[in-house]
Amino acid sequence: MFKQTHRLFLSLFAPLVFTLAGCASAPPDCGGIATRNLDAAFAQAKSSLGGSCAAHFDRYFDDLLTIAEGDPKPGNKRQFSEFLVWASDEGILSKQQARDHYNRYFNVKFVSLAGDYNNCSYTCPRRDQVMLSMERELSDKERGLIRITEDNAAYYRSDELYREVELVLEATCTACAARAGR
Amino acid sequence: MHVTKTSAPLAVLLAAGLLLSGNAPANSPQGSSPTIRLFPTTVVEDLKQTSSVAKEMETGLQEVIGRLDQQRELYLGSKCEGADSDPGCERLARQIGATYLEMLGIMEERLPDMEHTVNNTRLSLEKRLQSEIGNKMTPWSLQEMLLGGTTSDATSSSTAGPTLRGRSGMRLSERFRQYYQLVASSGGSTDQSLAVLASDIYLDMDETSVLIARTREEIARATLVEQLNQSFGAITPEMMEVVGGVKSILFGDEAMDYAVSAPPPSHTEEAWISPLAN
Repeated sequence: MFKQTHRLFLSLFAPLVFTLAGCASAPPDCGGIATRNLDAAFAQAKSSLGGSCAAHFDRYFDDLLTIAEGDPKPGNKRQFSEFLVWASDEGILSKQQARDHYNRYFNVKFVSLAGDYNNCSYTCPRRDQVMLSMERELSDKERGLIRITEDNAAYYRSDELYREVELVLEATCTACAARAGR
Repeated sequence: MHVTKTSAPLAVLLAAGLLLSGNAPANSPQGSSPTIRLFPTTVVEDLKQTSSVAKEMETGLQEVIGRLDQQRELYLGSKCEGADSDPGCERLARQIGATYLEMLGIMEERLPDMEHTVNNTRLSLEKRLQSEIGNKMTPWSLQEMLLGGTTSDATSSSTAGPTLRGRSGMRLSERFRQYYQLVASSGGSTDQSLAVLASDIYLDMDETSVLIARTREEIARATLVEQLNQSFGAITPEMMEVVGGVKSILFGDEAMDYAVSAPPPSHTEEAWISPLAN
Protein backbone atom coordinates (compact mmCIF):
# COMPACT_ATOMS: atom_id res chain seq x y z
CA MET A 1 0.00 0.00 0.00
CA PHE A 2 2.72 2.43 1.02
CA LYS A 3 4.78 1.54 -2.08
CA GLN A 4 1.89 2.20 -4.40
CA THR A 5 1.19 5.59 -2.88
CA HIS A 6 4.85 6.48 -3.15
CA ARG A 7 4.95 5.58 -6.86
CA LEU A 8 1.80 7.58 -7.54
CA PHE A 9 3.29 10.60 -5.77
CA LEU A 10 6.49 10.33 -7.79
CA SER A 11 4.71 9.98 -11.10
CA LEU A 12 2.49 13.01 -10.40
CA PHE A 13 4.89 15.48 -8.78
CA ALA A 14 8.30 14.57 -10.09
CA PRO A 15 7.86 16.42 -13.43
CA LEU A 16 6.69 19.52 -11.57
CA VAL A 17 9.61 19.40 -9.17
CA PHE A 18 12.10 19.04 -12.00
CA THR A 19 10.47 21.87 -13.93
CA LEU A 20 10.64 24.22 -10.95
CA ALA A 21 14.22 23.28 -10.27
CA GLY A 22 15.07 23.97 -13.89
CA CYS A 23 13.53 27.48 -13.67
CA ALA A 24 15.45 28.35 -10.57
CA SER A 25 18.83 27.59 -12.12
CA ALA A 26 18.24 29.26 -15.54
CA PRO A 27 20.84 32.01 -16.08
CA PRO A 28 19.52 35.58 -16.33
CA ASP A 29 19.44 37.09 -19.77
CA CYS A 30 22.46 39.45 -19.69
CA GLY A 31 22.89 39.68 -23.43
CA GLY A 32 24.01 42.76 -25.26
CA ILE A 33 21.86 45.83 -25.80
CA ALA A 34 19.85 45.27 -28.94
CA THR A 35 18.70 48.79 -29.71
CA ARG A 36 20.78 51.56 -31.34
CA ASN A 37 18.63 54.26 -29.80
CA LEU A 38 20.62 55.76 -26.95
CA ASP A 39 17.68 56.59 -24.66
CA ALA A 40 16.25 53.10 -25.12
CA ALA A 41 19.72 51.65 -24.62
CA PHE A 42 20.11 53.40 -21.26
CA ALA A 43 16.67 52.12 -20.23
CA GLN A 44 17.53 48.56 -21.28
CA ALA A 45 20.89 48.70 -19.51
CA LYS A 46 19.25 49.93 -16.32
CA SER A 47 16.63 47.20 -16.53
CA SER A 48 19.21 44.45 -17.00
CA LEU A 49 21.67 45.82 -14.44
CA GLY A 50 18.88 46.33 -11.93
CA GLY A 51 17.97 42.65 -12.36
CA SER A 52 20.68 40.06 -12.02
CA CYS A 53 23.25 41.42 -14.44
CA ALA A 54 25.17 43.82 -12.19
CA ALA A 55 28.31 41.74 -12.65
CA HIS A 56 28.26 42.64 -16.34
CA PHE A 57 28.38 46.38 -15.70
CA ASP A 58 31.59 47.01 -17.64
CA ARG A 59 30.24 45.34 -20.77
CA TYR A 60 26.97 47.26 -20.59
CA PHE A 61 28.86 50.50 -20.08
CA ASP A 62 31.04 49.77 -23.09
CA ASP A 63 27.96 48.95 -25.18
CA LEU A 64 26.43 52.28 -24.18
CA LEU A 65 29.61 54.11 -25.19
CA THR A 66 29.54 52.38 -28.57
CA ILE A 67 25.87 53.24 -29.11
CA ALA A 68 26.54 56.86 -28.06
CA GLU A 69 29.31 57.08 -30.66
CA GLY A 70 26.57 56.62 -33.21
CA ASP A 71 24.70 59.62 -31.83
CA PRO A 72 27.33 62.12 -30.70
CA LYS A 73 26.13 65.27 -28.96
CA PRO A 74 27.15 67.41 -25.96
CA GLY A 75 24.11 66.22 -24.00
CA ASN A 76 25.49 62.68 -23.87
CA LYS A 77 27.81 63.76 -21.10
CA ARG A 78 24.84 64.43 -18.85
CA GLN A 79 23.17 61.13 -19.76
CA PHE A 80 26.26 59.16 -18.84
CA SER A 81 26.62 61.13 -15.64
CA GLU A 82 23.02 60.39 -14.67
CA PHE A 83 23.45 56.73 -15.55
CA LEU A 84 26.55 56.46 -13.38
CA VAL A 85 24.86 58.25 -10.48
CA TRP A 86 21.99 55.77 -10.83
CA ALA A 87 24.46 52.85 -10.82
CA SER A 88 26.03 54.24 -7.69
CA ASP A 89 22.65 54.75 -6.00
CA GLU A 90 21.68 51.18 -6.89
CA GLY A 91 24.86 49.91 -5.29
CA ILE A 92 26.20 48.51 -8.55
CA LEU A 93 29.18 50.85 -8.36
CA SER A 94 30.73 52.62 -5.43
CA LYS A 95 30.69 56.40 -5.55
CA GLN A 96 34.40 56.40 -6.31
CA GLN A 97 33.99 53.92 -9.15
CA ALA A 98 31.22 56.05 -10.63
CA ARG A 99 33.44 59.13 -10.43
CA ASP A 100 36.36 57.29 -12.01
CA HIS A 101 34.23 55.99 -14.88
CA TYR A 102 32.88 59.44 -15.59
CA ASN A 103 36.16 61.31 -15.32
CA ARG A 104 38.09 58.76 -17.34
CA TYR A 105 35.90 59.44 -20.38
CA PHE A 106 34.39 62.88 -19.94
CA ASN A 107 36.78 65.05 -17.93
CA VAL A 108 40.01 66.81 -18.85
CA LYS A 109 41.79 65.62 -15.72
CA PHE A 110 43.45 62.24 -15.56
CA VAL A 111 42.20 59.63 -13.13
CA SER A 112 45.51 57.85 -13.74
CA LEU A 113 47.39 60.75 -12.21
CA ALA A 114 46.20 60.34 -8.68
CA GLY A 115 47.91 59.55 -5.41
CA ASP A 116 48.13 60.83 -1.89
CA TYR A 117 51.90 61.00 -1.61
CA ASN A 118 54.32 63.52 -2.98
CA ASN A 119 55.73 63.30 -6.48
CA CYS A 120 59.35 62.60 -5.48
CA SER A 121 58.44 59.56 -3.44
CA TYR A 122 55.36 58.28 -5.23
CA THR A 123 55.16 59.39 -8.87
CA CYS A 124 58.82 59.44 -9.84
CA PRO A 125 59.61 55.80 -9.07
CA ARG A 126 56.73 54.73 -11.33
CA ARG A 127 56.82 57.54 -13.87
CA ASP A 128 56.86 55.30 -16.97
CA GLN A 129 53.91 53.34 -15.68
CA VAL A 130 51.98 56.52 -14.86
CA MET A 131 52.65 57.98 -18.30
CA LEU A 132 51.53 54.75 -19.97
CA SER A 133 48.29 54.75 -17.98
CA MET A 134 47.72 58.39 -18.88
CA GLU A 135 48.29 57.60 -22.53
CA ARG A 136 45.63 54.87 -22.38
CA GLU A 137 43.27 57.20 -20.56
CA LEU A 138 43.86 59.86 -23.20
CA SER A 139 42.62 57.35 -25.74
CA ASP A 140 39.43 56.86 -23.67
CA LYS A 141 39.05 60.61 -23.43
CA GLU A 142 39.26 60.83 -27.19
CA ARG A 143 36.31 58.43 -27.31
CA GLY A 144 34.32 60.23 -24.62
CA LEU A 145 35.12 63.82 -25.43
CA ILE A 146 35.41 63.79 -29.20
CA ARG A 147 33.46 60.83 -30.50
CA ILE A 148 30.62 60.89 -27.98
CA THR A 149 30.18 64.46 -26.76
CA GLU A 150 31.89 66.46 -29.54
CA ASP A 151 33.83 68.46 -26.99
CA ASN A 152 36.99 68.82 -29.04
CA ALA A 153 38.34 71.73 -27.00
CA ALA A 154 38.27 69.68 -23.81
CA TYR A 155 40.07 66.83 -25.52
CA TYR A 156 42.80 69.11 -26.85
CA ARG A 157 43.27 70.59 -23.39
CA SER A 158 43.60 67.08 -22.04
CA ASP A 159 46.18 66.24 -24.67
CA GLU A 160 48.07 69.41 -23.79
CA LEU A 161 47.87 68.56 -20.11
CA TYR A 162 49.35 65.15 -20.87
CA ARG A 163 52.36 66.75 -22.57
CA GLU A 164 52.80 69.32 -19.81
CA VAL A 165 52.72 66.62 -17.15
CA GLU A 166 55.29 64.64 -19.14
CA LEU A 167 57.63 67.64 -19.26
CA VAL A 168 57.16 68.75 -15.66
CA LEU A 169 57.56 65.21 -14.34
CA GLU A 170 60.70 64.68 -16.37
CA ALA A 171 62.24 67.82 -14.88
CA THR A 172 60.95 67.22 -11.37
CA CYS A 173 62.02 63.60 -11.25
CA THR A 174 65.46 64.52 -12.60
CA ALA A 175 65.71 67.10 -9.82
CA CYS A 176 64.50 64.65 -7.16
CA ALA A 177 67.00 62.01 -8.28
CA ALA A 178 69.87 64.48 -8.47
CA ARG A 179 69.26 65.83 -4.99
CA ALA A 180 68.67 62.40 -3.52
CA GLY A 181 72.08 61.41 -4.85
CA ARG A 182 73.83 64.22 -3.00
CA MET B 1 73.87 68.38 -40.96
CA HIS B 2 76.28 65.59 -40.21
CA VAL B 3 78.70 66.80 -37.64
CA THR B 4 81.87 64.87 -37.18
CA LYS B 5 82.91 63.42 -33.88
CA THR B 6 85.17 66.33 -33.06
CA SER B 7 82.86 69.10 -34.04
CA ALA B 8 79.60 67.75 -32.71
CA PRO B 9 80.02 68.83 -29.11
CA LEU B 10 81.03 72.30 -30.20
CA ALA B 11 77.98 72.85 -32.30
CA VAL B 12 75.65 71.18 -29.86
CA LEU B 13 77.12 73.04 -26.96
CA LEU B 14 76.47 76.30 -28.66
CA ALA B 15 72.96 75.26 -29.46
CA ALA B 16 72.23 74.30 -25.90
CA GLY B 17 74.34 76.95 -24.28
CA LEU B 18 73.00 79.83 -26.25
CA LEU B 19 69.49 78.58 -25.71
CA LEU B 20 69.93 79.66 -22.16
CA SER B 21 70.12 83.26 -23.09
CA GLY B 22 66.66 83.04 -24.55
CA ASN B 23 65.14 81.44 -21.53
CA ALA B 24 66.16 83.96 -19.00
CA PRO B 25 63.83 86.91 -19.37
CA ALA B 26 60.66 84.89 -19.11
CA ASN B 27 61.17 84.20 -15.48
CA SER B 28 60.44 87.61 -14.18
CA PRO B 29 56.75 88.14 -14.49
CA GLN B 30 55.63 91.54 -13.40
CA GLY B 31 52.86 91.75 -10.91
CA SER B 32 52.31 88.03 -10.52
CA SER B 33 51.83 86.36 -7.20
CA PRO B 34 52.46 82.68 -7.71
CA THR B 35 51.64 80.39 -4.85
CA ILE B 36 54.55 78.14 -5.70
CA ARG B 37 57.96 79.70 -5.59
CA LEU B 38 59.82 78.40 -8.62
CA PHE B 39 61.52 81.65 -9.50
CA PRO B 40 62.70 83.44 -6.38
CA THR B 41 65.12 86.34 -6.74
CA THR B 42 68.19 84.14 -6.63
CA VAL B 43 67.03 82.07 -9.57
CA VAL B 44 66.13 85.21 -11.50
CA GLU B 45 69.59 86.61 -10.84
CA ASP B 46 71.24 83.35 -11.91
CA LEU B 47 69.26 83.36 -15.10
CA LYS B 48 70.18 86.96 -15.83
CA GLN B 49 73.83 86.16 -15.30
CA THR B 50 73.63 83.13 -17.59
CA SER B 51 71.87 85.18 -20.19
CA SER B 52 74.50 87.87 -20.05
CA VAL B 53 77.38 85.41 -20.38
CA ALA B 54 75.66 83.72 -23.31
CA LYS B 55 75.13 87.10 -24.93
CA GLU B 56 78.85 87.90 -24.62
CA MET B 57 79.68 84.62 -26.26
CA GLU B 58 77.23 85.32 -29.05
CA THR B 59 78.68 88.77 -29.65
CA GLY B 60 82.24 87.49 -29.67
CA LEU B 61 81.49 84.69 -32.07
CA GLN B 62 79.33 86.71 -34.42
CA GLU B 63 82.24 88.79 -35.71
CA VAL B 64 84.49 85.76 -36.19
CA ILE B 65 81.76 83.86 -37.97
CA GLY B 66 81.20 86.82 -40.29
CA ARG B 67 84.88 86.83 -41.12
CA LEU B 68 84.90 83.09 -41.72
CA ASP B 69 82.00 83.53 -44.12
CA GLN B 70 83.85 86.13 -46.14
CA GLN B 71 86.99 84.04 -46.26
CA ARG B 72 85.10 80.99 -47.39
CA GLU B 73 83.30 82.94 -50.11
CA LEU B 74 86.64 84.15 -51.36
CA TYR B 75 88.03 80.63 -51.25
CA LEU B 76 85.13 79.23 -53.25
CA GLY B 77 85.03 82.22 -55.58
CA SER B 78 88.67 81.66 -56.38
CA LYS B 79 87.93 78.05 -57.38
CA CYS B 80 90.25 76.81 -54.66
CA GLU B 81 88.34 73.64 -53.98
CA GLY B 82 90.51 70.81 -55.22
CA ALA B 83 93.37 73.19 -55.98
CA ASP B 84 95.26 72.69 -52.77
CA SER B 85 98.63 72.93 -54.42
CA ASP B 86 98.00 76.49 -55.57
CA PRO B 87 99.99 78.85 -53.30
CA GLY B 88 97.25 81.48 -53.22
CA CYS B 89 94.64 78.90 -52.27
CA GLU B 90 96.93 77.46 -49.64
CA ARG B 91 97.30 80.91 -48.11
CA LEU B 92 93.53 81.40 -48.07
CA ALA B 93 93.06 77.99 -46.45
CA ARG B 94 95.52 78.89 -43.73
CA GLN B 95 93.68 82.16 -43.09
CA ILE B 96 90.44 80.28 -42.72
CA GLY B 97 92.12 77.81 -40.38
CA ALA B 98 93.47 80.67 -38.28
CA THR B 99 90.02 82.23 -37.98
CA TYR B 100 88.62 78.85 -37.04
CA LEU B 101 91.20 78.59 -34.29
CA GLU B 102 90.17 82.04 -33.14
CA MET B 103 86.60 80.81 -32.87
CA LEU B 104 87.70 77.85 -30.78
CA GLY B 105 89.74 80.21 -28.63
CA ILE B 106 86.75 82.43 -27.92
CA MET B 107 84.72 79.43 -26.95
CA GLU B 108 87.47 78.14 -24.72
CA GLU B 109 87.73 81.51 -23.03
CA ARG B 110 84.00 81.93 -22.46
CA LEU B 111 83.09 78.40 -21.51
CA PRO B 112 84.29 78.40 -17.89
CA ASP B 113 82.07 81.41 -17.13
CA MET B 114 79.24 79.80 -18.97
CA GLU B 115 79.73 76.54 -17.12
CA HIS B 116 79.72 78.34 -13.78
CA THR B 117 76.55 80.32 -14.40
CA VAL B 118 74.73 77.43 -16.03
CA ASN B 119 75.49 75.22 -13.07
CA ASN B 120 74.32 77.88 -10.62
CA THR B 121 71.04 78.27 -12.45
CA ARG B 122 70.58 74.55 -12.85
CA LEU B 123 71.17 73.93 -9.16
CA SER B 124 68.83 76.72 -8.11
CA LEU B 125 66.05 75.43 -10.35
CA GLU B 126 66.74 71.86 -9.31
CA LYS B 127 66.29 72.77 -5.67
CA ARG B 128 63.06 74.63 -6.41
CA LEU B 129 61.55 71.93 -8.57
CA GLN B 130 62.35 69.26 -6.04
CA SER B 131 60.96 71.27 -3.18
CA GLU B 132 57.90 72.94 -4.75
CA ILE B 133 56.69 70.26 -7.17
CA GLY B 134 58.53 67.14 -6.04
CA ASN B 135 57.94 67.33 -2.31
CA LYS B 136 55.03 69.69 -1.79
CA MET B 137 52.72 68.35 -4.47
CA THR B 138 50.90 65.10 -5.11
CA PRO B 139 50.29 63.94 -8.68
CA TRP B 140 46.71 65.16 -8.39
CA SER B 141 47.66 68.62 -7.17
CA LEU B 142 50.22 68.80 -9.96
CA GLN B 143 47.60 68.37 -12.64
CA GLU B 144 45.25 70.75 -10.88
CA MET B 145 48.02 73.33 -10.85
CA LEU B 146 48.76 72.74 -14.53
CA LEU B 147 45.10 73.18 -15.33
CA GLY B 148 45.11 76.45 -13.48
CA GLY B 149 42.71 75.54 -10.72
CA THR B 150 39.81 74.83 -13.04
CA THR B 151 37.59 72.61 -11.01
CA SER B 152 35.79 70.41 -13.46
CA ASP B 153 35.02 69.58 -17.03
CA ALA B 154 37.55 72.18 -18.05
CA THR B 155 37.78 73.12 -21.66
CA SER B 156 40.16 75.40 -23.39
CA SER B 157 40.88 77.25 -26.52
CA SER B 158 42.10 74.89 -29.16
CA THR B 159 44.33 77.58 -30.60
CA ALA B 160 46.94 77.20 -27.91
CA GLY B 161 50.28 76.09 -29.24
CA PRO B 162 52.57 73.55 -27.67
CA THR B 163 54.48 74.88 -24.73
CA LEU B 164 57.20 72.33 -24.82
CA ARG B 165 60.83 72.08 -25.67
CA GLY B 166 62.90 72.26 -28.80
CA ARG B 167 63.90 75.75 -29.73
CA SER B 168 67.39 75.37 -31.08
CA GLY B 169 67.90 77.07 -34.39
CA MET B 170 66.04 80.26 -33.59
CA ARG B 171 68.00 83.46 -33.86
CA LEU B 172 69.05 84.42 -30.37
CA SER B 173 67.93 88.00 -30.51
CA GLU B 174 64.52 86.84 -31.78
CA ARG B 175 64.22 84.38 -28.94
CA PHE B 176 64.99 87.18 -26.51
CA ARG B 177 62.36 89.35 -28.11
CA GLN B 178 59.73 86.61 -27.92
CA TYR B 179 60.43 85.91 -24.29
CA TYR B 180 60.23 89.58 -23.43
CA GLN B 181 56.94 89.79 -25.29
CA LEU B 182 55.71 86.75 -23.43
CA VAL B 183 56.52 88.26 -20.06
CA ALA B 184 55.11 91.62 -21.01
CA SER B 185 51.86 90.29 -22.44
CA SER B 186 51.17 87.73 -19.74
CA GLY B 187 50.96 90.47 -17.14
CA GLY B 188 51.28 87.96 -14.39
CA SER B 189 52.27 84.45 -15.32
CA THR B 190 50.33 81.81 -13.50
CA ASP B 191 51.69 78.84 -11.63
CA GLN B 192 50.99 76.43 -14.43
CA SER B 193 52.99 78.35 -17.02
CA LEU B 194 55.81 78.92 -14.53
CA ALA B 195 56.00 75.21 -13.80
CA VAL B 196 56.25 74.38 -17.49
CA LEU B 197 58.77 77.14 -18.04
CA ALA B 198 60.88 76.13 -15.04
CA SER B 199 60.89 72.52 -16.21
CA ASP B 200 61.83 73.54 -19.71
CA ILE B 201 64.72 75.71 -18.58
CA TYR B 202 65.96 73.19 -16.05
CA LEU B 203 66.11 70.35 -18.58
CA ASP B 204 67.93 72.62 -21.05
CA MET B 205 70.40 73.59 -18.35
CA ASP B 206 70.90 70.01 -17.32
CA GLU B 207 71.79 68.97 -20.85
CA THR B 208 73.93 72.04 -21.30
CA SER B 209 75.97 71.36 -18.20
CA VAL B 210 76.91 67.95 -19.54
CA LEU B 211 77.66 69.33 -22.98
CA ILE B 212 79.84 72.12 -21.65
CA ALA B 213 81.92 69.67 -19.70
CA ARG B 214 82.32 67.43 -22.74
CA THR B 215 83.05 70.35 -25.02
CA ARG B 216 85.76 71.74 -22.83
CA GLU B 217 87.50 68.41 -23.14
CA GLU B 218 87.05 68.39 -26.89
CA ILE B 219 88.22 71.93 -27.57
CA ALA B 220 91.78 71.19 -26.65
CA ARG B 221 91.82 68.26 -29.04
CA ALA B 222 90.13 70.19 -31.87
CA THR B 223 92.61 73.04 -31.42
CA LEU B 224 95.54 70.67 -31.66
CA VAL B 225 94.15 69.05 -34.79
CA GLU B 226 93.65 72.41 -36.43
CA GLN B 227 97.11 73.56 -35.46
CA LEU B 228 98.43 70.53 -37.28
CA ASN B 229 96.23 71.30 -40.26
CA GLN B 230 97.70 74.79 -40.35
CA SER B 231 101.02 73.24 -41.31
CA PHE B 232 99.40 71.88 -44.45
CA GLY B 233 97.01 74.73 -45.15
CA ALA B 234 94.05 72.41 -45.52
CA ILE B 235 90.37 73.13 -44.98
CA THR B 236 88.76 70.07 -43.54
CA PRO B 237 85.08 69.21 -43.98
CA GLU B 238 84.92 69.09 -40.22
CA MET B 239 85.80 72.77 -39.97
CA MET B 240 83.11 73.74 -42.42
CA GLU B 241 80.53 71.70 -40.58
CA VAL B 242 81.39 73.29 -37.27
CA VAL B 243 81.20 76.74 -38.77
CA GLY B 244 77.90 75.88 -40.43
CA GLY B 245 76.51 74.60 -37.14
CA VAL B 246 77.61 77.66 -35.23
CA LYS B 247 76.10 79.93 -37.87
CA SER B 248 72.74 78.24 -37.81
CA ILE B 249 72.68 78.54 -34.05
CA LEU B 250 73.67 82.18 -33.93
CA PHE B 251 71.64 83.42 -36.83
CA GLY B 252 68.90 80.83 -36.88
CA ASP B 253 66.71 79.80 -39.72
CA GLU B 254 64.45 82.68 -40.62
CA ALA B 255 62.01 80.46 -42.45
CA MET B 256 61.19 78.42 -39.41
CA ASP B 257 58.65 79.48 -36.88
CA TYR B 258 59.59 78.10 -33.51
CA ALA B 259 57.18 78.01 -30.64
CA VAL B 260 58.23 79.37 -27.32
CA SER B 261 56.74 78.67 -23.96
CA ALA B 262 53.49 80.47 -23.55
CA PRO B 263 51.01 80.71 -20.74
CA PRO B 264 48.39 77.99 -20.99
CA PRO B 265 45.13 79.18 -22.49
CA SER B 266 42.34 80.51 -20.38
CA HIS B 267 39.64 78.07 -19.49
CA THR B 268 35.92 78.38 -19.85
CA GLU B 269 33.63 76.28 -17.78
CA GLU B 270 30.61 74.69 -19.31
CA ALA B 271 27.18 75.61 -18.13
CA TRP B 272 26.47 72.09 -16.94
CA ILE B 273 28.84 70.30 -14.61
CA SER B 274 28.43 66.69 -13.63
CA PRO B 275 28.22 65.97 -9.91
CA LEU B 276 30.72 63.18 -10.63
CA ALA B 277 33.37 65.53 -12.03
CA ASN B 278 36.50 65.98 -9.97
